[in-house]
Amino acid sequence: MGQKITIEPVTRVEGHGKVTIRLDDDGKVVQSRFHIVEFRGFERFVQGRPYWEAPVLVQRLCGICPVSHHLAAAKAMDVVVGAGPGKLTATAEKMRRLMHYGQMLQSHALHFFHLSSPDFLLGMDADPAIRNIIGIAALDKDLAVQAVLLRKFGQEIIEATAGKKIHGTGAVPGGINKNLSPEERDRFLKGAAPLNIDQMIAWAQAAVALFKDYQKKNKDVVDGFAAFPSNHLSLVRKDGALDFYHGVLRAVDAEGRKVLDDVDYQDYLEHIGEETRTWSYMKFPYLRSLGRADGWYRVGPLARLNTCDYIPSPLAQKEFEIYKAYTDGKPNNMSLHSHWARLIELLHSAEVIKELLLDKDLQGTKLVKKGKRAPEGVGLIEAPRGTLFHHYRVSADDQITMANLIVSTTNNNEPMNRAVHWVAMNVLSEKPEITEGMLNRLEVAIRAYDPCLSCATHAVGRMPLDVSLVDANGQVLQRKVR
Amino acid sequence: MLVLGIGNPGRRDDGLGAALVERLKRRRLANVSCDANYQLNIEDALACAEHEVVVFVDAARGLRKPFSFSKVLPAAGLPALSHALQPGAVLAVAAGLYGKTPDARLLAVRGHSFAVGEGLTGRAEGNLALALAFLVDFLKGIRRCP
Repeated sequence: MGQKITIEPVTRVEGHGKVTIRLDDDGKVVQSRFHIVEFRGFERFVQGRPYWEAPVLVQRLCGICPVSHHLAAAKAMDVVVGAGPGKLTATAEKMRRLMHYGQMLQSHALHFFHLSSPDFLLGMDADPAIRNIIGIAALDKDLAVQAVLLRKFGQEIIEATAGKKIHGTGAVPGGINKNLSPEERDRFLKGAAPLNIDQMIAWAQAAVALFKDYQKKNKDVVDGFAAFPSNHLSLVRKDGALDFYHGVLRAVDAEGRKVLDDVDYQDYLEHIGEETRTWSYMKFPYLRSLGRADGWYRVGPLARLNTCDYIPSPLAQKEFEIYKAYTDGKPNNMSLHSHWARLIELLHSAEVIKELLLDKDLQGTKLVKKGKRAPEGVGLIEAPRGTLFHHYRVSADDQITMANLIVSTTNNNEPMNRAVHWVAMNVLSEKPEITEGMLNRLEVAIRAYDPCLSCATHAVGRMPLDVSLVDANGQVLQRKVR
Repeated sequence: MLVLGIGNPGRRDDGLGAALVERLKRRRLANVSCDANYQLNIEDALACAEHEVVVFVDAARGLRKPFSFSKVLPAAGLPALSHALQPGAVLAVAAGLYGKTPDARLLAVRGHSFAVGEGLTGRAEGNLALALAFLVDFLKGIRRCP
């Protein structure tokens, strides 16, 4: 009798995901799927709303990365008001960058220390009850405290630039609605230890060193786990530098050959297609030039360090060189190296924040620019989890008539499915018993992509882990709720 | 005392926590700090560790009454959740990292719609008014205690 193993929802990722693995009568994996219930109603919801509301409205999508949606929508609306790329005032662009790099800092810190490091430092087979930040605190209290304060520092940068924690209004079409006061600047630059940017940089460096040390001692696991070749997509600065806020689209294949280069993202529809599959609510994006079967790609930290030529900050660049040397300059296709890449980005974010805080343009008073109206605009940003697309059309009477969003997690849909399949084939197949450690490896594979599944509605009492073992006839053989 | 609202006002009644905190702020109660965010996270443990009394305010599904008020203890083990934490988990982080365990409560206010949209439903507004009155009395009572 064939079996079906179901894990619902996947823990420590956003929203509800479900892993289904079908086994044949011999216990061999015959199929694996990662299902996500994606919320698509939002694109209809914004239709008819005035365009200037979009940067605030889109924060309803997600309580975890509202800044990414806020900025992507603002960038799209910049184009609509005639203040697209290169036309914002220096103060506006740098304030937005500070907001965004603050978000990268807090998001990457949260993901590594709170969600992923327990899998490494405590082990994938560790009891789920201690495989968390409390377990990390018991192991290394200072490390856990650093996680809290890195996250807090990033959150405070966001609050200072976006205006408030919930439904921030910092970015507006054509600019920003506030600058950074000298008092705010000094608090971040010279605040009492440990909450100042120099301390954040030092901790980010230590985090990179921590991962490198772990990887050196555990190469087999870190290098081999859920490794598979893929294309990689991200924004890069026009000169090839890593840039989270703005740039041109670049994609490379598994060998590093450029599939897309120097593409203006206003033309993304010419290059990116979205495939639907009957079994998933979430679409499967692909590079049109490679077709549906071969054009899928990764986004996020791993992809970004595969597409960029260099990192424009000294400490992160040094780490980038070590990272690239490990694969002889070729693209890195090892899923767990996402964490290494993420920590190098954490360091880069801290360095950029310091550079911006020292820039007097942040105290400028020219905040908004307007130009010739356009009927549509596309805004792209490198969100913590990867490339985020926002595309809007606006009528002459200022109403949004069309919205199309491709979120980072959607871009990583196929890679996450591939990672799940790798675990199914290499860890689960033909084993007599499904252990907690095996189930956790499925989650580790998915968590490498830090998916965020639109779970801003959370309410008390939701989000258990429900594990079911079901046979081919749909009968539940075993069920676990964690 | 710290009152922490949780929820997304862009999802109708999910914004109950933030709305209640906003209205509580207007009362300007002495020795009461107010904050709100989309979700609880690890840095909230630091804020909790700095207060003796903490009240988490969140929207609730499936409640049979307008609100409930219950004691929250540090979670024995951190539940395997998402990026966000539940109140008990935040308290566990506060205890684990800072050695502090505030007297904590959860004020769960019944929500009726969690769809994308603005504003609370009429029924949630009614629940909020009752919950707010209760919370103000509770906080004043705490202040009166020696």
